[in-house]
Amino acid sequence: MDVLAGLMHGFALALQPANLLWCFVGCALGTIVGIMPGLGPPATIAMLLPLTFLMNPASAMIMLAGIYYGAKYGGSTTSILLNVPGESASIVTCLDGYQMAKKGRAGAALGIAAIASFVAGTVGVLGLMFIAPPLARFALAFSSPEYFALMSLGLAMVVLLAGHSIVKALLAMLVGLWISSIGTDLFSSTSRFTFGRMELLSGIDFVVVAIGVFALGEVLGNLEAIEKSQLLPVPKGLRNLLPTVQDLKDSRFAFANGSIVGFLVGVLPGGGSTIASFISYGIEKAVSKRPEQFGHGVVEGVAAPEGANNSETGGALVPLLTLGIPGSGTTAILLAALVLWGFKPGPLFISENPSLFWSLVASMYIGNLMLLVLNLPLVPLFAQVLRTPAYVLYPVIFGVSMVGVYSVSGSVFDIGLLAGFGLLGYGMRKLDFPSAPLILGLVLGGALERALRQSLMMSEGSLSILVARPISAVMLSLAVLVLLMPVFSRINAWRQKLLS
Amino acid sequence: MRVKSPDFWSGLALAALGGYIVYTARGWEYLGQDGPGPGFFPLWYGIVMLVLSAILVLTGKSEASWKGAGRAFAAWAAFAVSVALIKLLGFLIAFAALTFFIVTVMYRRPPVTAALVAAGVAAGFYVVFPLALGVALP
Amino acid sequence: MAPKIAFLIGLTLAGTAFAQGFKPTRPIEVVVHTGPGGGSDLLARSVVAIIEKEKLLPVRMQVVNKPGGGGTVAASYLAEKAGEPHTIGFFTGVWLTGPLTSAEAKVTLRDLTPIARLVLEPALIAVKADAPFKSLSDFTSAAKEKPGQLKQSGGSVTSRDNVVRQLLQRASGGRWVFISFPGGGERIAALLGGHVNMMVIEPAEAGEHIRAGNMRVLAQVSDRRLAAFPNVPTLKEAGFDVPAVPQVRGVVAPPGIPAANVAYWEDVFRKLTRTASWKKYLEDNQFEDGYQNAAELAKFYDDFTGTMRGILQEAGVKIVR
Repeated sequence: MDVLAGLMHGFALALQPANLLWCFVGCALGTIVGIMPGLGPPATIAMLLPLTFLMNPASAMIMLAGIYYGAKYGGSTTSILLNVPGESASIVTCLDGYQMAKKGRAGAALGIAAIASFVAGTVGVLGLMFIAPPLARFALAFSSPEYFALMSLGLAMVVLLAGHSIVKALLAMLVGLWISSIGTDLFSSTSRFTFGRMELLSGIDFVVVAIGVFALGEVLGNLEAIEKSQLLPVPKGLRNLLPTVQDLKDSRFAFANGSIVGFLVGVLPGGGSTIASFISYGIEKAVSKRPEQFGHGVVEGVAAPEGANNSETGGALVPLLTLGIPGSGTTAILLAALVLWGFKPGPLFISENPSLFWSLVASMYIGNLMLLVLNLPLVPLFAQVLRTPAYVLYPVIFGVSMVGVYSVSGSVFDIGLLAGFGLLGYGMRKLDFPSAPLILGLVLGGALERALRQSLMMSEGSLSILVARPISAVMLSLAVLVLLMPVFSRINAWRQKLLS
Repeated sequence: MRVKSPDFWSGLALAALGGYIVYTARGWEYLGQDGPGPGFFPLWYGIVMLVLSAILVLTGKSEASWKGAGRAFAAWAAFAVSVALIKLLGFLIAFAALTFFIVTVMYRRPPVTAALVAAGVAAGFYVVFPLALGVALP
Repeated sequence: MAPKIAFLIGLTLAGTAFAQGFKPTRPIEVVVHTGPGGGSDLLARSVVAIIEKEKLLPVRMQVVNKPGGGGTVAASYLAEKAGEPHTIGFFTGVWLTGPLTSAEAKVTLRDLTPIARLVLEPALIAVKADAPFKSLSDFTSAAKEKPGQLKQSGGSVTSRDNVVRQLLQRASGGRWVFISFPGGGERIAALLGGHVNMMVIEPAEAGEHIRAGNMRVLAQVSDRRLAAFPNVPTLKEAGFDVPAVPQVRGVVAPPGIPAANVAYWEDVFRKLTRTASWKKYLEDNQFEDGYQNAAELAKFYDDFTGTMRGILQEAGVKIVR
């Protein structure tokens, strides 16, 4: 079935009232789930699976997919307003989004997040539609050496997140690497850094660390002074309630950047929206004319990662639908759902089930549009949240953090860990250690180590495998370049001083 | 005597962590039969941590203002206590207690306000999470 | 003296009469060690669905997720619920091997009350379709000629994938590398991308790739040929006298529950395995019916862990228990 015919057919199905309703339900549910820190699409989809048996598979798929990308839209809300990442992918949004909120531009931040998500989400669907099969083959060429190079590139971004002390940023990253090692080593089944505690055997979930360090650290910092009875300035006037034309112009490149990076990283089995958003943020900062403002509230610092984590959904569906290989936690559940409904996802899936595939694709366009329409008007509403007096809001943040963490693992031990990381986050603020590198190290550390060990096993101990293969060689060189960037800029500044 | 900068102490703490990591990593296999073992990676980032924290100790100079830290610690302690109380009293009560503490002690509002807020917020949580969303409370 | 005996007899009779009438009165908690959507979770939900459909229980069942620690969190949770008749749990192979290799995994299956073994998951040995190996012996001979050059993708070093490799290496004299990947998707991607040469894969996962012509199956890890793969030799048929290492799933209950309870649960699950819905479920998922009652399961556990200990030690894994 050629693409245009398929798409027409898909729209015909997706625009049926019942499917429109399910799409809406999925998107709405996804947005709510995304706002809640901790609760994520995988758990929600799993809980709804029994319900889906009563529906026809196409409608069910449309709804579940709606939850998947809807959650990405919702995740930015708490990141921007409260510095609480609602989704792992929204952590990077906290960096500039929350700063924008502090400056009274919460509305603009929320708006640009929604718009970027829409643009990137649509690009993601376009990608899924047109280049899925060849891209899937490309994805198969990616293996451990390439992943190692990709993770190295991601970690090299630390340099761009560093602020003024690279030493402290690197140290924070190393601590993140250490935390990522806590648990059972996959290759040898040795327990590392578990202090004899069974709860640490599978490591520390990064949601616990992220919420503790970011959100609780921030709250504790704010609790120092009693005067602030209102948390953040409420955006006044349309200029701050919605993104301005200038904002949109500033974000032009970010839209493209986020869409492409997110989609490509999503296609890789094992590449996730978190790393996609970090890389996209890093690239944005690297090409920006005002890099020193990143981390202090620049609009493209929100647009890039938000776009990336949305187009990643389109990307992650590529290996799922073209090869039957799940690329992320959520796609793994979607795979299970397809199997439960009696389908056999694999290389022949699309050609044998064109209606399902095309109605899904069409519904994703519709869903993205729905979410944009849903989210934009809600922006002023969300911004009003900031009116809540601090003495109500802070306990709520504490409570939501606890519930969110508990919803991930069902363990009170993790809530205790949350308290510990909250203290760490506060300490880091006081001692001027940047927290983003810590999270980056935590998220990438495990994958980096695995990729390195897998690569060395593949090459029988020879490091040359990392540079012998073209893709990994290119990415590693990029990583080295990124690492050397501060050196270049110092040299540049020094040269300027000499010439003046 | 010149007061040591905060960086000095954080550098020392991180050096201690780095040392601990290197020490534990030595106990695991460095290079296994087929590839690097569990001790490989931690050993390296432990060493880098030691080096960098040494640099921090020697060159660090930032200031830290500890004004207000007492309040923050008190709030944190209250949070920690409420977490510990979850097993004993259940989430809702522990959480309400935390809210009460924050409102009265942190923000010096009258106890009545505090009690109302605590009750309201706890009730809100009960409605939103288990009832409306089906999310279990701790 | 006589009154005492009479009293004791009376007590015992009363006790048995009381326990005999065991019927659950509250919803049953079904503990699984994965998060929602994980293997155990899906199995538990399917079982619950069948039990409710066939009305094998007078009360509802509720799946409770206690993920973490490779099963240890769920196992400990069950251990804490000693004596509670309204809780059961689903176990898999990791519950059996975990305590062998990890000091923190303190709860073994013997510490709990075995109820029944339900499922054996067979597996296939697969290579990429354009690989030069037409049979399992082709692969092992190649591995013998060039030791350490061929590669297999699989799960953790204690997983069944590696155990099969250890057994085959021992039986054939060949040697090849085992590379762990945390997710099934990544393992398959590694094979299809040509980065590894072979993997042990579940029939359900492999089906579509075989149909599309991307993968070839050399042998099956099971005692009898699966219906879906009538032309693929089993390990023994392929000339390797090694046990077909199963991946098992079954039911356990907290420790300290009375014998009548155990009998009740045994009965429920025995009935379950006789239903047509269950047979269809096994067929759809390409599982083998591995039903064993409580006593058989206990013996299986002892045999299995004994064999595992030896195999894992040979594989170079540190054994702590």
